[in-house]
Amino acid sequence: MFHRRLKEKGIEIGLFLAAATTVVVLLFICIFLFRDGYLLFETSSFTGFITGSSWYTASTPPRFGILPLLFGSFLVTAGAIAIAVPLGLAAAIYISELASPKIADLLKPFIEILAGIPSVVYGFFGLVVLVPLIKDIFDIPTGQTALTGSIMLAMMALPTIISISEDAINAVPLALKEGSLALGSTQWQTIYKVTLPAALSGISAAVILGVGRAIGETMTVLMVTGNMAIIPGFPEGFLDPVRTMTATIALEMGEVPKGSPHFHALFAVGSVLFITTFIINMVADRIKRKYKLKEGL
Amino acid sequence: MSEINNFADIEVEDLNLWYGSNQALQDINIKIPSKSVTALIGPSGCGKSTFLRCINRMNDLIKVCHIEGRVKIDNKNIYDEDVDVVELRKKVGMVFQKPNPFPMSVFDNIAYGPKIHKVPKKDIKGIVDKTLQDSALYGEVSDRLDSSALDLSGGQQQRLCIARTMAVEPEIILFDEPCSALDPISTNKIEDLILELKKDYTIVIVTHNMQQAARISDYTAFFLMGKIIEFGETNQIFENPKEKRTEDYITGRFG
Repeated sequence: MFHRRLKEKGIEIGLFLAAATTVVVLLFICIFLFRDGYLLFETSSFTGFITGSSWYTASTPPRFGILPLLFGSFLVTAGAIAIAVPLGLAAAIYISELASPKIADLLKPFIEILAGIPSVVYGFFGLVVLVPLIKDIFDIPTGQTALTGSIMLAMMALPTIISISEDAINAVPLALKEGSLALGSTQWQTIYKVTLPAALSGISAAVILGVGRAIGETMTVLMVTGNMAIIPGFPEGFLDPVRTMTATIALEMGEVPKGSPHFHALFAVGSVLFITTFIINMVADRIKRKYKLKEGL
Repeated sequence: MSEINNFADIEVEDLNLWYGSNQALQDINIKIPSKSVTALIGPSGCGKSTFLRCINRMNDLIKVCHIEGRVKIDNKNIYDEDVDVVELRKKVGMVFQKPNPFPMSVFDNIAYGPKIHKVPKKDIKGIVDKTLQDSALYGEVSDRLDSSALDLSGGQQQRLCIARTMAVEPEIILFDEPCSALDPISTNKIEDLILELKKDYTIVIVTHNMQQAARISDYTAFFLMGKIIEFGETNQIFENPKEKRTEDYITGRFG
């Protein structure tokens, strides 16, 4: 009797430790990321980092201004969202409301495959196909631009946006659609006046998660955006090379001496990236939870 | 089957309906009189809801559904090629089993129909007020027109759905067990409303509640296994049914 209870307790503790691992890992990542990032401010100023408009790591003294990288990331992400949201939403509406089950079943595996392609393969495709294409279309010196990165990221964010929006649209009760149709509205009126508004919170969550996916993506943008650390203009900056936060870390981490100011600067950039994606995921989660509550009605 | 010599709004001739290979309605012939309440009764799965959904072509949404025969409204077969389903559903409104207000304000719920049918903006407020008054909902919700329809009680939601249907000015209103999700007091209010509505509309109501059929309908059709067994004035059906099966069902011997 006593032994059995001890055994039960032991199993419970074992499972608890397994679950706790994830929390511990996250905690350690936070601690090391923020600590090494913080050490930058022993040699250079915090405002210089947050508001600095130049990222010159080789100058003396080196200048670690995050703005070119931050704007680079935002520009590429904004472009990706501008492309992926209309496209993804249209695809989700088509699959869930208009396509016959046969066609929907045919389309869905393709979207899932799209989600499973490694990012380096996307980058390779972008480099070989899209970069020359952008160069020719706009007649510019290089095809490695923010726009190129946006298009690639849009393709990568599409599966997320489509599948989550589709779930949200499918979750709208049939009774609502019937109520609308019974009043003599057309299928299209029903979709955009009743179904889409009812699915709006789910769709917003899809968009925000798509943003999160795009902003954290590294390999693809590194391969197709040209990596020039200058603050891009808007909107003409889309046709210039840009450098994102992720690409900067990936490019420079291998060659910095451990413990140098440059090393800590990269950790500081990583911290900003971490905080950004953390906020994005939290907002998406909040919206999704609210939308689940509504569904319960 | 008894003939009713009243002006008929809905004339159904030799209607047969299949879901895939499964026949759900068989040789339905019925003339539903104008400006009156016709109740469809029968055990679950007898085809009465299916029949109701034939009258506004709601069954079009079901891909495996196949229909033969004619349903004439104002002497026009609604299954003819040239019929505009949108116009048909404007003329034949429907209230569902579970209240299904749109997740928008009370006002917008009622304004929805007129808006999609391109009623000028300046007239909409008037329509909403009038409809709310006609549906006896005005006193209860007049100060909450801008709050979400989902915050109303179930009974109020259902009356809102009726009001929403009235706002597009149909000729016929179909009710698919409108009270089955409601408490007795709400049910009472809806029954009163339906009695009021029959002055202006032709009403067809599916109900599982025998007493309800007896209370509010002028005519009753008894469905069994996809066929109409008996159709006549409600008094006659309940007091002096011609068919043994009708009597058995009404007296609760089966179903």
